[in-house]
Amino acid sequence: MVDNRTQLSLEDKQMLKEIVLPWVDDLHRVALQLCHDHCNAEELVAECVARACEHFTKLRDHSKAKQWLLRILTNTYISKRRTERTRQEIPLSIDADISEDNFSLFDQLSMPFILWWSNPEREVINKLMDEDIRRAIGSLPDEYRVVIVLCDVEGFSYKEISGTLKIPIGTVRSRLARGRSFLQKSLWHYAEEPGIVQSRTKKGQREHVETHATP
Amino acid sequence: MLKHTQHHKGISCEEAIKRVYDFIDNHLKAKARAELEHHLETCRHCFDRVEFEKLLKARLRHLKVDTESKALRKKIDELIEQF
Ligand SMILES: [Zn+2]
Repeated sequence: MVDNRTQLSLEDKQMLKEIVLPWVDDLHRVALQLCHDHCNAEELVAECVARACEHFTKLRDHSKAKQWLLRILTNTYISKRRTERTRQEIPLSIDADISEDNFSLFDQLSMPFILWWSNPEREVINKLMDEDIRRAIGSLPDEYRVVIVLCDVEGFSYKEISGTLKIPIGTVRSRLARGRSFLQKSLWHYAEEPGIVQSRTKKGQREHVETHATP
Repeated sequence: MLKHTQHHKGISCEEAIKRVYDFIDNHLKAKARAELEHHLETCRHCFDRVEFEKLLKARLRHLKVDTESKALRKKIDELIEQF
């Protein structure tokens, strides 16, 4: 993992510990969300910290330590995955048919003007298991998974994500839109499997319903 | 998109839907936000869409992960010692 170890002074080590240790929980949590079941979260955190030790002198503003560490973590993760992909030819995790970027689960589920008293689409969200959602996040391509985890799971603002990943805010926004579209398509599959949604909500019928119900 | 679009003054459903993610992510400027909020008061379809996206986002936000990181913190402490 790390061959050319820098010789850090005792003071540096102490400083590093003060900077890194308070964020271990956060790093671990994000790592778990990113890794899902295809890599080891603790190892990822350890690699991240090892890199942080090597590049410690580059961190000027210690108040930005969390962002700095998360950037190292996500970069480590993405480059790890790239290496794995070329070595084992891991296919892109999204099916070829999930290529459209404006898929809306809501549009699949909603039946306007039919059920004024209930919200079948919200019920579907409530019935999904945490594990379904985790699996759906896990199936996203890495670039999208990272922004979804930071934004929706961790609650970062666009600006914070932009700063963490060093990508423009416009890119954050477009990756989020695309990522959510992917995510909703996966969730749609998970909802269909155990019959959380019934065939009546399938698209053909819904459109039929819609044309009749529109005033 | 939907025919009832024309019944509303202000922004169209299409425009409203475009703003949904910025809205739920708290990333909409005051004017755009006010326009959307006004639209949501009068359009059930878009209102439902926003509620749906909010609900899904909330599910993600509250995903539980077991982070018993005490042991990991100790490992990290030892790791830093090696540098
Ligand atoms: Zn509308």
